[in-house]
Amino acid sequence: MPVIVIASPKGGAGKSTTAILLATELALAGARTVLFDCDPNRSVSIWASRKKLPKNIEFINDVGESEIIRAIKHHDTDGKIVIVDLEGVASRLVSRAISQADLVITPMRGTTLDATIGARALALVAEEEEALGREIRHAVVFTMTRAIRSNQHKGIEVSLKGQGVDVIDPPLMERAAYSALFEFGGNLRDLPPQGNMEGAISNAIEFARAVYQRLAEPVEAAA
Amino acid sequence: MSEQQPFSVDIGKLRTAAKPEATSQVIQTSDVAGERLGFVNRAPKGRGGRQPSPRTGQVHAKTLPHVAEEISAEAKRRGVVQGVLIEEAWALYCHQNGLETGG
Repeated sequence: MPVIVIASPKGGAGKSTTAILLATELALAGARTVLFDCDPNRSVSIWASRKKLPKNIEFINDVGESEIIRAIKHHDTDGKIVIVDLEGVASRLVSRAISQADLVITPMRGTTLDATIGARALALVAEEEEALGREIRHAVVFTMTRAIRSNQHKGIEVSLKGQGVDVIDPPLMERAAYSALFEFGGNLRDLPPQGNMEGAISNAIEFARAVYQRLAEPVEAAA
Repeated sequence: MSEQQPFSVDIGKLRTAAKPEATSQVIQTSDVAGERLGFVNRAPKGRGGRQPSPRTGQVHAKTLPHVAEEISAEAKRRGVVQGVLIEEAWALYCHQNGLETGG
């Protein structure tokens, strides 16, 4: 079953938020998901500790580079979607996890710094594809996006698309509810009202649907 | 609260590729590819400094070498563990500085 690796060597790009939103929305959509927290900052573990895990979600933490491949393989079984949240550094843990991925998602804010550092993850995917002789689908999702996008953000998006990079639409918007997940745990429906809840939920559903579509279509249709 | 319903995942439609086995050769290939781009081994190298005592779990403070040797020799001479000397030294220190001690 599909393995989704959330990777960017840039810290604060929104990897953990992306992983949790994806896991919780796919779980609500009926998929059994296994969520790995491989980030020493343990952001996903904080979320997991707040409340009983939502239905259909299994949580794994404390996986280091020596165990990551076997751990992913152990859970990469029929009927499950594996989601791996990685640390925000350029480490061997990242390259090993990517070797097992069906889809690598690189979250980035619409800033030059995020794009520059995030591009290293895209380069790593290309390098591993060549080294391992298999295609690894990858995509970028913009995070913490505001309704009115900056010229910098627009420029980066145009540049990525121009280079053939798959940019997930919709981006993840900047929503108070997404930050609140780390305070309250659970999924977006469990939260006490946080700003524009309708917008947050709708955005998360559409994002998860866009990822699901990528997992459901043949690889050759990806490019 | 929102009434929006999530979409439905059809597990049967999900595509997955055959991944390489976790052989040492595959792992090394992946590592080399990563290292070319600066994705290097950053796993903790283990805990630095003196290891805790397996018996008490305590980490003893480091001292200058001659102090360590002198404490060791005195403990041997008296036939006690070094901790006894440290406890005595602590009692003296507390007494000199007017500190309360549990002993």
